[in-house]
Amino acid sequence: MIKTLTKLMLISLFFTSCVAVKEYEKINLNDPDMKLSERDLDKYKSTFQSYREAAAGANGGKTGGGCGCN
Amino acid sequence: MKNTSYYCFFLLLVTLTAVAQADEKTEYKKRVLETMEVNLLSSYYTQDGENAAVTGGIGTEELSDIAPSINVLIPLNDDDVLSIDATVSAYTSASSSNINPFDGAQQADPFVASTGASGQDTWFGLSANYAHSSDDRNTILSGNISFANEYDYTSFGFGGSITKLFNQKNTELQVKANVFFDSWRPQYPIEFRESFSLDDYEFTGNANYAANYSDFQDVGRNSYSVGASLSQILSKSVQTVFMADFVMQDGLLSTPHQRVYFGDIEDTMIENFRLGNDVERLPDTRTKLALGNRTNFYLNQTFVLRTYYRYYSDDWGINSHTFKVELPIKIGMNYTLYPSYRYYTQTQADYFGEFNTLLSTQDFYTSDYDLATYDAHQYGLGFKFYDPLNKFKIGNFGLKSINVEYNYYERTTQNFSAHITSIGFNFIAD
Repeated sequence: MIKTLTKLMLISLFFTSCVAVKEYEKINLNDPDMKLSERDLDKYKSTFQSYREAAAGANGGKTGGGCGCN
Repeated sequence: MKNTSYYCFFLLLVTLTAVAQADEKTEYKKRVLETMEVNLLSSYYTQDGENAAVTGGIGTEELSDIAPSINVLIPLNDDDVLSIDATVSAYTSASSSNINPFDGAQQADPFVASTGASGQDTWFGLSANYAHSSDDRNTILSGNISFANEYDYTSFGFGGSITKLFNQKNTELQVKANVFFDSWRPQYPIEFRESFSLDDYEFTGNANYAANYSDFQDVGRNSYSVGASLSQILSKSVQTVFMADFVMQDGLLSTPHQRVYFGDIEDTMIENFRLGNDVERLPDTRTKLALGNRTNFYLNQTFVLRTYYRYYSDDWGINSHTFKVELPIKIGMNYTLYPSYRYYTQTQADYFGEFNTLLSTQDFYTSDYDLATYDAHQYGLGFKFYDPLNKFKIGNFGLKSINVEYNYYERTTQNFSAHITSIGFNFIAD
């Protein structure tokens, strides 16, 4: 699984040379729901998940520390 | 280790500042944030289950929490934005109340909350983030600091990140680092305290009760994390980000008020309550790796598809997978629905044992079912009202959007479920 994700990350690097969407073509990408991050209200779910689940991180939020959770 | 961390953080800031200055160009630039934004958020969370860790893996997990929060984004000038976030989380917990179940109000029982002070607490968190964008908006430097406190836990943290955009802002690379210096003020179960005497109670079972217990000497917990993310626009309607976080923790990683019952020691009961044999003992180091991907698809003017996957692994033997899919549905200009589904699965920690199955001869042990093997499903539905004209005003602030959301969470392999309802108001200054 780790190898697969690493390969995907490396593959995505190649996109840098073959795709260049211009600023004026980014109207769909600039839609607020297209943000590559959690939505504001997701922080509450992430907090309870960090207490109730062993996993954390790789979501732009907490990775551990800062609370008496995992 | 602390000095090294401070030194590394300082070096990171100096390096980032130098990189940013090298990128400065004088040309027309749009403000990073046009005007001040204020987000008022709140959530109400309830849960219930029957595997409370405070009572060694058996007992009520009933808990409710209300958490109002305010987040303010302040544009300091064209390039710099200060973000301040304050949250108060007030909760009542039946299982925490059973740190001392012998309140005299009713029969002590792991499935009944006691009236003790440990049944409620307030967590307070404050954090600030400062971000500086270069003139060409291709470099963003940020630093953050955080503080959090509750009755038995205090945390202080700081960190920083650098983000570089290139390929006509089609590609974004971010590197970040954070440290937390936390400390416990342990609240041990009542039977482990010096003031406790078995002679004061009527009991059944093992008359030679002697807890296999000693106080934790090191009550600090340090966390060091580094992370990286790579975002890429794949087409006019698809973009993706790969994220990786690596975390090292040391110090007191056990929770000091979580009991353990050993299968090789006869139980001692007071009323309906077993006296603990020890509190959980977990290794004083932990290394975690999380790898994630988020890919969003703009399908058409009505539908957006948001997907998320995460693989997680740590050296306590836990592996997990998280999948999430969300389908925002735009209804006209002003309304959006957010149906979502999330699946989570994990394997158990090497040190986990179910209620009364652990052995006193083990070095490490816990009956915290959050560290057990389980699957969980989460179903959500959100609603957003968006007003591009900000017609509703409070003082100098106009209401930009209202978000409401409900989520139901359940574990399939344990009798545990939770409900969370959240609401958020987004205001922007005129």
